[in-house]
Amino acid sequence: MQLELPQTIDRATVLRYLGAAGWQPDAATDALLARAEALVLAAATPRGVWRTLPLAALDGLALGGDLARHLAGCDSVTFSAVTLGAETDALLRRLEAEDIALAAAADAAASVLVEHAADTLEAHIRAALPAGRYLTGRYAPGYGDCPLALNDEICLALDTVRGAGLAVTPAHLLTPRKSTTAIQGGADTPVTGARAGCAHCLLRDACAYRKRGTTCAE
Amino acid sequence: MPSKLQTVFDRSAFVFLDGAMGTELQKRGLRLGQKPELAAFFMPETLTAIHAEYLAAGADILIANTFGANPKKLAGTGHTLEETVEASLACARAAGGADVPVALDIGPLGELLAPAGTLAFEDAYDQFAQIVRAGAAAGADLVFIETMTDLYELKAAVLAARENCALPVFASMSFEARGRTFTGCTVESFAVTAAGLGVDAVGINCSLGPAEILPFAKRLCRSVPAGLPVFVKPNAGLPEPDGSYALTPQRFAEQMEAFAGTGVSMLGGCCGTCPESIRLLKRAYAGQKPAQKIPLRRSALCTPVRFVEVNGITVVGERINPTGKKRLQQALRAGDMAYACAQAVQQAEAGAEVLDVNAGLPGIDEPATLERLVRELQAVTDLPLQLDSADPAALARALRVYNGKPVVNSVNGEQKVLDAILPLCKKYGAAVVGLTLDENGIPKTAEGRVAIARRIVAAANARGIPNEDIYIDCLTLTASAEQAAAAETLKALAACKRELGVRTVLGVSNISFGLPCRGFLNTAFLTMAMQAGLDLAILNPNAPEMMAAVRAFRVLSGQDARSEAYIAAYAGQQPQAQAPVQAAPPPDAAPQSGDPLFDAVRRGLKAEAKAAAAAALQSGREPLALVDASLIPALDAVGEGFENGTLFLPQLLQSATAAQSAFEAVKAAIAAGGAPAAHKGRIVLATVKGDIHDIGKNIVRVVLENYGYDVLDLGRDVPPETVVEAVRTSGARLVGLSALMTTTVPSMQATIEALHAASLPCRVMVGGAVLTPAYAAGIGADFYARDAKASADIAKQVLGG
Repeated sequence: MQLELPQTIDRATVLRYLGAAGWQPDAATDALLARAEALVLAAATPRGVWRTLPLAALDGLALGGDLARHLAGCDSVTFSAVTLGAETDALLRRLEAEDIALAAAADAAASVLVEHAADTLEAHIRAALPAGRYLTGRYAPGYGDCPLALNDEICLALDTVRGAGLAVTPAHLLTPRKSTTAIQGGADTPVTGARAGCAHCLLRDACAYRKRGTTCAE
Repeated sequence: MPSKLQTVFDRSAFVFLDGAMGTELQKRGLRLGQKPELAAFFMPETLTAIHAEYLAAGADILIANTFGANPKKLAGTGHTLEETVEASLACARAAGGADVPVALDIGPLGELLAPAGTLAFEDAYDQFAQIVRAGAAAGADLVFIETMTDLYELKAAVLAARENCALPVFASMSFEARGRTFTGCTVESFAVTAAGLGVDAVGINCSLGPAEILPFAKRLCRSVPAGLPVFVKPNAGLPEPDGSYALTPQRFAEQMEAFAGTGVSMLGGCCGTCPESIRLLKRAYAGQKPAQKIPLRRSALCTPVRFVEVNGITVVGERINPTGKKRLQQALRAGDMAYACAQAVQQAEAGAEVLDVNAGLPGIDEPATLERLVRELQAVTDLPLQLDSADPAALARALRVYNGKPVVNSVNGEQKVLDAILPLCKKYGAAVVGLTLDENGIPKTAEGRVAIARRIVAAANARGIPNEDIYIDCLTLTASAEQAAAAETLKALAACKRELGVRTVLGVSNISFGLPCRGFLNTAFLTMAMQAGLDLAILNPNAPEMMAAVRAFRVLSGQDARSEAYIAAYAGQQPQAQAPVQAAPPPDAAPQSGDPLFDAVRRGLKAEAKAAAAAALQSGREPLALVDASLIPALDAVGEGFENGTLFLPQLLQSATAAQSAFEAVKAAIAAGGAPAAHKGRIVLATVKGDIHDIGKNIVRVVLENYGYDVLDLGRDVPPETVVEAVRTSGARLVGLSALMTTTVPSMQATIEALHAASLPCRVMVGGAVLTPAYAAGIGADFYARDAKASADIAKQVLGG
């Protein structure tokens, strides 16, 4: 399905992705972010696909302990995937050839927009939830000890190539670049899932967030 | 050819295709997790029964269940591609017997092609070729390429079909409601590209229902030659949230009736349709014959997302041609494509609608360079390209990898040139430029040039290239040498348009060679040529006066309705160049140093930095001294602020961009002086095999170049052997590798191991989101670069400077 575009992209989050969390940008940077935002909003064609399957759909797949914990108490699993489309990638390639500062700002703005698209799709999924059913939050492959290879299974089950023009590379990366997948558990009782936390994160020891006493999820 | 297929091509009656296969298999027992492409093995009777029901419902052609049968999807299933294709075709044949044509169905491979993904065009071709050969061997009657959303993948499939079997080829794409595919391809770009590649029928299938596809099918009918049949296979309406489709077979057939008068001559269904849909569809069309198709005869060039109709003056950017451009010569000799890419983007911004691309430079491998330029340029620009070469080998390679419909520049009146190049244009569906000269040189008179043009047109027509794809160049001679020639050129141009019914093209700037203030002559000649009927003007779009002449002409000739484009370009501008108003420094800015270049870079002001560098060079400062005394100190100051946390990444990058624009002026000055490009050491950069996230690497490239290093950027998804080869041939003593994802770090390790195995005397720095200093050491890297600033520090340590 096509997902609605927002009017604006949250600048504070864009700055956080650019490693400048909490900074009050100067006028030049403000103008840069505004240009990046306008270009990304003009190029993006956000689309999403989703599907709910019995928990048994995960049988035999390597999930990692973090995702298993996230799905504890669930009897169904909802896969979803969103992409900003090939034209956003093309925009980023063009900007990288033209102006690296604008390219970095647009790249960050596109990342924020992907998250927004995932939120939008999740709202649709929740709106379609039968009465008395509950969903956990989204969990994406690559977080904690959950292997990226799970992207292959998610995209196959959703037929993302046909439904959204989204494909997985042999290295399990999503293409177009500005895309994301998610897994949510479903149950008859309220469930929230468990965040990946830092225990299995590769960057545990070098993480700039942890040094500041926060996490990337906050 | 089965006699029923003949009807497809004579369009004497409607031809009916079948309906959905996937949804029918699910209805009849295909379970979740079972691969539908293997149905011929585990449910052959069911598969045959579905084909038989479509045949009984009225389908004239049966499409075998080979949509997903490709090497990747079949890997690990225990079935080879060949046996899967054979078994699937056999089920269709069993249902229809020898008289019913059976199609080899080919769907998308399920991976995106580069540059969007990592699948190489050639790898896609090889997979399709394997499928085509398997289908031909198993007795398919035609090749049915469908549900494509990427024009490049479609091209790979069509070439594979045309080069690996003699069967008719049908090609179909899927469009969204906005009239573009997922990758942004327009109906018209699909139409002219597929028709140009010589497919035997074109169509639209899947994604939408009949009502939504109707307007696109009309556009498709108008965009392909009259003799090329058009088909539609819509879904049963749009999907409902539960995955079912909105239209009943009855409603589907009713909506399909609207295609009767459009020129579409083949009809079927896609997802959600069933044998009953086809039965009712056929009944609705009882007694009807396909309507006549009335194509628009138009001159067009395209990329997937940009369809350029050449109807009125159209600007071709001339900057990517090394003749007389020393900076581009240096870049091409060094294998640096980034400069040409930046030129492409700049020209597009300035108003170019087509880009000329030429790699003819003594001492370089022109075929390889032209092919690489085409690949790199089409990753960063959506403008169609003019492939500019006299070398058939270079043209063949460039045409093969070009995504869309290009124009080839050029042929001339020499028979051997026509014989070598026209078949290439025909095979790849390119338009062609014909120069009005031959083995006797350039005729002095207009009549002589028109006579050669006439010969070129006849030769092109004989090869099947229509007049709308021919652009005649009556040749701009230098006014300082042959003053009378300008009038002859324009006379010949007008005669070609009038008498031959072709398009015209001129390289404009040559008119003024050897005279002062060339812009005055260029704009005057351009204006005269436009008035004489010039279609393609090859010029420098970065010259404001040239674009102004074009935009003004469009207003006065009525091409720019209500002067909208003119107003958009010039509203609020002063006609005279004004001195740039010095912006007041922001209150938080560092005190002024008295060095305008230093200040402009430190404050991240791109235009000011460029202007300051140009002014300094003009005042006689040595280019390299400028780098050492102004650029690098400014970058160091910014880098220090970044490290201290007083400046942030967006500011660092704006300074880098400003320095880059200043540095470009320096490089141009050095190149113009004829000196070899001076640098502080050579560095090879690559984003490793499998990884496509390269913004970090691109930031590092800009920063290292700003510090005066010669960076050979190999791009992304780069195999280890390419890195080794580049280090070996360039002699680089430092290599920078980036990888963003955990799954691609192993290829980083493999690259480092390959460099070590080759015993190359280079150090390796690595960076990327998932790397840590410990991890970097663990995979054998010499340095871990936390950010772009750190990479510059490492370069200084290794290479000095």
